[in-house]
Order: sequence, then C-alpha cells, then structure tokens
Amino acid sequence: MRDPLTLTLSPEGRGKKKDDAMQFVLQLVFAGVCVGAVYALIAMGLSLTFWTTRTLNFGQGSLLMTASVATVAMLGAGMPAALAVPLGILLAGGLMVVAERIAIRPLLKSGDSMGWVVSTLGLGIFLQGFVSSVFGSQAIAFPSLVFDSLDSVDVAGVQVSSQYLAVLGLSLTLMVAMELFLRRSAWGRAVRAVSHDADAAALAGIPVRRVIVLSFVASGVLAGIAGVMVAQITGTVDPSFGFNLMVLGFVAAVFGGMGNTAGALVGGIALGVIEKLVGGYVSTAAEHGMAFAILMVILAIRPQGLFGRKEFTKV
Amino acid sequence: MPDRINPVGGLEIHGLEVRYGPVEAVRGVSLRAEPGTITAILGANGAGKSSLMKAISGLVPATAGRITLDGDDITRLPPHERARRGLSHALEGRRLFHRMTVEENLKVAWDFRNRGGSFRAVADRVYDQFPMLAPRRQTPAGMLSGGQQQMVILSAALIHEPRYLLLDEPSLGLAPVIVQQIFGFIESVCRERGTTILLCEQVAAIALRVAHSGCVLRRGQVVRGGPAAELAADPALSAAYLGG
Amino acid sequence: MRNLLSFLTRTPVVAALLVALGVAAEFVSGATVQIWSFLLVNVLLAQSINLLTGVAGQISLGHAGFLGIGAYGSALLMKNFGLPLPLTLLAGAAMGAFSGWLLSFAAGRVREFYLAMMTLGFGMIFYEVVREWTSVTGGMMGLSGVPSPGLRTLTLFGWSVGPTAYFQIMLAVVAGVVWLLRNFVTSPFGRAFFAIHVSEVAAGSIGVPRARTKRNAYMLSAALAGLAGGFYAHLVGYLGPETFGLHRSVEVLVMAVVGGLGTLAGPVLGAVVFTYLPEKLQIFAEYQFMVYGLILLLSFVLLPRGLAGLLLPRPRFAKDVAPLPAPPPAVPKPSGSGPLLSAEGVSISFLGLRALDNASVTVGAGEILGLVGPNGSGKSTLVNIISGIYRPGDGRVTFDGGAITGLPDHAVARRGALRTFQDPRLVPAFTVRENVLLGGHRLYRQNPLAAALNLPGALREDAAMLGRADAIIAMAGLSHLADTPVRDLPYGDQRMTELSRVILADPRLVMLDEPAAGLSEVELQRLGGLVRHLKERGVGVILIEHHMDFLNELVDRVVVLDSGRVIYQGGMAGMYRDPAVVAAYLGTETQPGEAVHA
Repeated sequence: MRDPLTLTLSPEGRGKKKDDAMQFVLQLVFAGVCVGAVYALIAMGLSLTFWTTRTLNFGQGSLLMTASVATVAMLGAGMPAALAVPLGILLAGGLMVVAERIAIRPLLKSGDSMGWVVSTLGLGIFLQGFVSSVFGSQAIAFPSLVFDSLDSVDVAGVQVSSQYLAVLGLSLTLMVAMELFLRRSAWGRAVRAVSHDADAAALAGIPVRRVIVLSFVASGVLAGIAGVMVAQITGTVDPSFGFNLMVLGFVAAVFGGMGNTAGALVGGIALGVIEKLVGGYVSTAAEHGMAFAILMVILAIRPQGLFGRKEFTKV
Repeated sequence: MPDRINPVGGLEIHGLEVRYGPVEAVRGVSLRAEPGTITAILGANGAGKSSLMKAISGLVPATAGRITLDGDDITRLPPHERARRGLSHALEGRRLFHRMTVEENLKVAWDFRNRGGSFRAVADRVYDQFPMLAPRRQTPAGMLSGGQQQMVILSAALIHEPRYLLLDEPSLGLAPVIVQQIFGFIESVCRERGTTILLCEQVAAIALRVAHSGCVLRRGQVVRGGPAAELAADPALSAAYLGG
Repeated sequence: MRNLLSFLTRTPVVAALLVALGVAAEFVSGATVQIWSFLLVNVLLAQSINLLTGVAGQISLGHAGFLGIGAYGSALLMKNFGLPLPLTLLAGAAMGAFSGWLLSFAAGRVREFYLAMMTLGFGMIFYEVVREWTSVTGGMMGLSGVPSPGLRTLTLFGWSVGPTAYFQIMLAVVAGVVWLLRNFVTSPFGRAFFAIHVSEVAAGSIGVPRARTKRNAYMLSAALAGLAGGFYAHLVGYLGPETFGLHRSVEVLVMAVVGGLGTLAGPVLGAVVFTYLPEKLQIFAEYQFMVYGLILLLSFVLLPRGLAGLLLPRPRFAKDVAPLPAPPPAVPKPSGSGPLLSAEGVSISFLGLRALDNASVTVGAGEILGLVGPNGSGKSTLVNIISGIYRPGDGRVTFDGGAITGLPDHAVARRGALRTFQDPRLVPAFTVRENVLLGGHRLYRQNPLAAALNLPGALREDAAMLGRADAIIAMAGLSHLADTPVRDLPYGDQRMTELSRVILADPRLVMLDEPAAGLSEVELQRLGGLVRHLKERGVGVILIEHHMDFLNELVDRVVVLDSGRVIYQGGMAGMYRDPAVVAAYLGTETQPGEAVHA
C-alpha cells in the first residue's frame, strides 16, 4: 500500500524566497487544497451511488488504479494520449456497471449492508490481483501528459507546481459541471429525485433502473479521472495505489456530510490542508493517521458530518 | 406490446392480490373505474387501499390478477412505463421531493413523460391555478405548508394531463378548509378535463361527496360497492370502518 | 460427508481428536508441525473475526491491525524486556482489546458501511504506523530476532520450547479458547450479540444496550486477534509490515465467510481450507489475491451460509441443559400508588410536522388500553416515545413510580416496559425457543465469565430460564415448533414467538403495535389468549390496533388519537357514538373549531 500523495511537495519550494516560513506554509496549504480537490472528486463519486442506492463501492480505489494502469498500458502500446486517457477513464465507468450488476443489485434485497460491502471489496481486490498478475506489482512510470512535474508558476510570490494547478483547475471544473448537471439537466434532476424518493420518482415516469446505472457510470468516470490525475502528480502507478485514496475520499465525504456536494468539497480541501500541514510540520508518515483520527472523531461526535442533517430513524 | 384484451376503455382490475412476504394486503379485488368518473376507495387504515393503488401504478407487484388500462394489460409493466401511458399516481403522506424547489418538482414530473410542448406554459398554468405557489416557485418544497405541498403534488401528477389519476389520502393531515379546496379542485379536474380518478380516502364523507361511485375495502377485500349517494346513505358504512 | 462432519463436531470426538493431534505432532515432520501451527493461528483469527462480524454483525475489514498489534506487542515485550511467554501473550491480547475498545468508540454512533470504512482505514493506518515507526518496529526492514521455537530461542520457565512443544501449547490454548467461545456464544451474552446483529432497535427493545454490547464485541474479538498475533510472532520469529496489510485482513475475512459466518465450526473449516490450499496448490498461491477477490464477490450470493451451512447441522444458540420446572408466575406488586404508566402532555414534531400534540395517556396495572386512530394520528409515535426510541419535545413519562422521559430504549425495557413492532423482529436463524430466550435478557444475573466457564450458577440460571421459556411456548401453542428456526415459520407463528419473548421478560407493561395485522381468525384467538394472560398477571397492556372486533373483546378502555391529539378516552361502546371519533374516521362537514395544520 504505497502512499501516492505524500512525497509530492516540490523539494525546491523550501527556502527559495526571503520569507521562508511563510512560503513553506503557503506551499503546504496550496498542495493541501489541490490534493483535497482530488479527495473531493473521489467523494463526489462515492456520493453519486450513495444517492441512488444508499451503497458505495468499496473497490472504488481499484477503479482509480485500473483506469490509470490501463492508460499507461495503452500509451505504452503507442496509442495517443488523447485516446488512451478517455478510454482508461471509460473503462472505470464500465467496470462500475459490472459492479452494480453483480456486486450490488443481487445483495440489496437482504437489507443488510454487509453483503454489498464484502462483494464490492471483493471486486476491488480482484481487480488489484488481476492487474498485479498482468503488470506485476511494481510501480510503473506514468508519463507526464501536459506539464512536466518540475514546471512551476509564480502565484503571488509562491512557487506553485503547474501540475498541481492543473489538477486543482480540472477538479473544480468537474465539480462545478457536476453540480450544474444535477441542478439543470433532466437526468441530473432524476438522480436527485431517485435519491429523495425512488417510488415517487418512478411514478413521475423516471426510469429508476437506468438512473441508477447512470449514477454508477458517472461515479466510475469520476474515479477514473481522479486516478489519472493522481498518477500524473505522483508519476507512477502500481496495483495497490487507490485503496488509501478511497478511504480518504470517504473521509472527505463524511467530513462534509455523506451526499452533500458542497460539503464534500469543503471536507476534501480541509482534509487535504490538514494533512499537508501535519506532513510539513510533524511528519509525512502522520498525514493519513491524522485523516483517520478525523474520521473517528467525526463519526463519534457528529456522524451526519459538519454540513449534513440528521436523518430520522424510521421505526 | 401488451395484448389487447378488452377494446373498452377505462381502468379495470380483476382478481388482484398483493402480498408482502407472508402478509396478504389485497385479496382478490376486482373493480372498474368508468372513464371520466371519480371512484372512491374507502376503508380504515390497514384495509389495503394503498397497496391496491401501488399495485395499479406498479410500485408493488401484483401476486395474482390482472390490471387493464384502456384494454391493454399493464399488469407486468414497470411503473415509469405505466406513467407514460397516462396513469398518474400521487402517493399518500405528501411524498414530494422535499429538498427540490416547487419548480423543480414540476420539472421532474414533466421531463420523462414529455410528449412535446412547452414546460413554461404548463408551469404558468399551474401558478394560475394555485396563485399562492407562484411566489414560492424557488422555495424548497419541504418548506411549504401541508396544503401547498398537496397542491404541488396534484399539479405534478396532472402536469401531462393524464387520463387516469390515482390519489392516495389527499386529505391526510390537512385543515378542513384546505381539504375543501383540494377536493373542489379534484372535482373540477374530472369534470373539465375528463380525467378518470381513483380516490383513496379514510374520510368517507368528503370523498363520497365528490365521487360518482365507491367501494369499501376491509382487510384486503371489497365488502361494499355502488353509487356514491347510496354508499353515503348506508348506515352499515360506519360499521365497515369501526367494525362494530 | 455431512454425517461424518457432524459426528466430528461432537464434544468427546473433538477432545479425542485434539489429544490425538497433540500426540501425533511428536511423530510427524517439522514441516507438518509448522503447517499445523499456522492452522491454529488461522483458526484463532477466523474465530476472532467471526465473533465480531458473523455473530455481532459488525463488519471488520482491518482485522490484520488487531493481529499486528498483538504480534508486535508480544514480540517487543519479550525481545526488549524479557517478559515470559504467558505474560507477553496475555499482554498482546490486552493490547488488541484496548485497540478494539478505542475503535468501538464511534461504533455506538454509526452503523453499516461507515463502520466498514472505518475498519478499513484502521487496518491501513496500522500498516503505515508499523512501516514508518522504524525505531520500534524496524520499519520496512522488519523486526527480527523475536524468540522463536524454530530457532530454539524461546524459553518457558527455564526450558527451551521446541516447535512441537510450541504447537502443543498452542493446541491446548486454542482448544480452550474455542470451548470458552462456544459457551459464551450460547449464553445470554452471545444471544445479545446476535440480537444486535439482526436489529439494533429490536435488541434495544428487550434491554440490550447497543453501544456497550458492540464495544464488548470489538474488545473480545480484538483480544482474540491479539492472542493470535502473539502466537504468530513467536512462531515465525520475524515480523514485517507486509504481513499485516490489507491482504491479510482480506484473507481473514475470506476464511470466515467461506467457512460460514455466525457458526463456530465454520471458521475452523475456513481456516483449514485456506491454510492448506496455498501450500498444496501452486496455482492458487500464484493467483491468491484474485481468488480471494472472486470469493468475496460471489460468496454471499452463491454460498450465503458458508461451508458450515452446507455441510453441518444447524448450530445451537442455547446451552444444552435440562429445563427446570417453571414456577407459577408471581403477580408483581405495584411500587407506586398512581397508574402504572402515565404520559402527560407529550408533544413531538418531525420536520415541522406536529406528530403528537399535548397527548396524555395512563395505563393501570392489569388494564388493557386500546390505542386507535386514523393513519398518521400518532399512535406508533406515542409508543416510540414511551419505549424510549424517540425523545419527546415536551411532556413527561412516568412508569412504575419513576420518570422515564428521555431514557434510552434499553433502559426502559430493563425497567419492565416492553414492546413489539409492526413487523416481527426476530433472529431468523434462531429457533422459536432461542428467540423466546432473548426476552429474558433483562432478568439474567450471571456474568460473562461465569457464562463462558459454564459455572454451575450460570447453568442453573439457564435451566430455570429454559423452563420458563418452555412453559410460555406451550401456552402460546408453539411447543411443536420450539426447535424450528423462525425463518421457516409462517407470519402468525412469528408473531406468537415475538409475544412469547416479551412475556418471558416478566414485563410490567407491554406495548403491542398492530399485533393482529395479517393474522387468521384462529391466530387471533391465540393472540387474545396471551394478552388476557398478561392482564391476569397484572401487566398493563397498550394495544395499537385497527381490528375493532378484536379490540372490542379485549380492552378495558380506548384512547383515540387524531392528528396527534387525544380526541376520546373511555369505553369502546361510547367511542362509536362519539361525534369527534366518527368525524375523524368518516369525516363530517367542516368544523370551524379544528386546528389548522396547513
């Protein structure tokens, strides 16, 4: 379980300018915001299926990984990036259809979450095992697609990695696009309607089954995009990267209240910034420990998240 | 395509049964809603009214029996297909999309049964019909009063001018003044648009005042039926409810 | 096959097999003893996760963390401080239990996949801590030089312990642990774990405190995993972080799932299969991860009860004791002078909707009160408030002379106010008798240790409870079904089982939510008989019901609710003539005085 996002702070950031301490903090915060935006994207993906079926894919991390490994493989076979990247991402979307069909739908009837938690985890483990057996379990280099990992720009006196900036921009754009889709389009409204009340949605003529499948595809696509972006930042991919990211995405989702879009963004960014500050001032090894502690504390004190509302238990 | 069994129009239910696991909620109900009329389905709670309605609209599967709509067998169609055939169902308990705005609730009802036309024009007609909704079109539906919510539900259910409308307990939890207004509207829908309405009510008197005919369910079976006026005058009606 | 296996699970046969295995270890090759030793570690681990996930229903995806805590704890204590083996093993188990206790803190608040994700995170964090905390754990280089029987560096009371002796020690300990587990799982505490698994609300309604029960499950399970870790550490003599990653957590889960969750034999079967397969099948070892993934993906659909469910007879969830004759039920003396239960001015709102509005109800000892009203009038809400599921926004509930307003449901149940639900909430895998025994939860006085050790006091209490349960089952007309799992029973018999469960609790007040729904005429007669029996014993009964004929024969008094308010109190006959009631059911012309809810 290698950790993809810990060692990514650009090394020359430390001590270039006069105000070293300030520069360092700002760099940490910036890195945290960027990484947090990716967490938020993963959280969005988890929220989508949570909305329509009250389930989430415990193998989501393997989808991130599969999308990026498949992209590397296709690039290696000489396919242009403009084709390989979308195909890799679509593969993640397609795998989610499979996940819904065999790992979730048959197990929803029991009303117990244990079945689908175990089966989706199983799918994730299977994918990880499959990729390991095909590509080996070593890290594979992921080529720089747009910016080189050393490119940087100067934003208000702070050295900022171009890749990070691109990741942040793309993540925010996707989140906005997602929100617009949910608010403005018929299918987006249908997703929300199904999430509120699937029966009432069906009576309004909404094909609930298709909306559910759609939400799974979109969830997989978001995971695939997140996977390619993380691979781009870290420069390598390997079969075990992803599981950590899924848990962190979940922490972001819970932070903001499960299923709350704005909450996921705030939660993801807060998590990313806290992690990077802890990493910068305490130890990079403690980063995820902090994230986990946050998850524990939130679940113990405010399970509905910081922005969520309390759900009534129907007896 | 479903088989064409009966060339006659209307909604016809034959020998319908609904089971939830071991519990029989509806036991062999047969009834017919004549086109352009209001049929009241009465009974205490637990009598099987809601299950009957849900089986007609497809939310729960019928374990036995047949449902035909304009002569087409729709017993096995999914609910959204029945909705597209002009069968609309307003659930009990003011089930609308609480966190969506009034306008979004109407839009959701419009989008997937869309057969052309302008949503704007239809929405404006709704706001004409219920002027108190007009200033609240951007308000989340959950923030409306019970009466206003019922108006949104009715408007959403009627947004595509369905030929058949199932209404489940529209009076539940509403003040009498509002109930009168809602039932006045229901009556006018039937009269002016020719909509065939199946109306589930616990409150028998008010339902029988607008209905043409009615039937009483008790423990999943039809125990009484006939013209509304006859039922209203039947002293046994109270017994059917209270069991005495 | 089935007969052979069930023969093999009999206690004397198991004991003989264990002795034979211990003796055989002296004569087989070192490699075989090694595999047998690993098998024992896996048996402990599989039992550990089974207790938490299979019995108590709390899924664990990070069990390798508990294993690792015990392993590193035990290894470091011996290597750095020279503590003796028994102490380090106990310390490993205690450290595991402590981590389980910590992890369970959020467990009282959240359920289902939140918990699953938390355990997954826990496993990952443990892995990272081990990897990064180089000064203590050796980091990626691992921790070597752990005293080990294989290297002849492990000593016990001054004697060197070889691999065979170590295996024999493990065998004795694991056999002892499984025996304790068996006794525990068939005790009231084990049944409480199952009750939490199936429905936390139903468990609360019979007096099982959900947060504490879950915490105990975490601690016990983690202690077992910690013990397994201690044994593992000395068995191999070297610890590296890779041993305690996600892969190991998944493997542990696979063993329990394939073996059969919720049984004791299942985890043993699972451990045997997944200890030997990688050893004997090269191809399996190569594709292990993929195979585990596929197993998890498909097993809940293809093999929901695991190998044990396929091959073995149904396990017991109660101790095999001879029932003591039931004493005649004593009529309890009321401890106050007022009514048994009184709810005064109770109000509650949901999302702005007033579900109960200043409602007041009293029930006396030996009185049957009918609670009627149209849909959504607040009947169930009132019962939910009295039984402690909802906390009222306003008002006061007193029961048996004490205030119970705002007490949690299990505390209300422990005081003797019990309830049923609209749908019978039983443990499907339990027989009628075992389900009824659950009702006795609030009466047991034995402690978990006595239960696990089968001490005479605990067994005597079990026998007495069993006698009472059998008497109630007979009264409910279920004797011929007492050994049938309730999932195979028709609805009416499930209802009777649920009511019998409540009766065994020796209640002072019983609240029944639509008990007659879906029952046949014959079943209604039996139900009425049980309700009358409660009345004769001085129990107060609240009966929510729409079936008026049924109510008519039973109740002393009715309370009619409409829109959250009490609109009528008194006899049934008066109710039919009361204009407000008739209006609520049948409707009248507008009444100007009505409160406006719109």
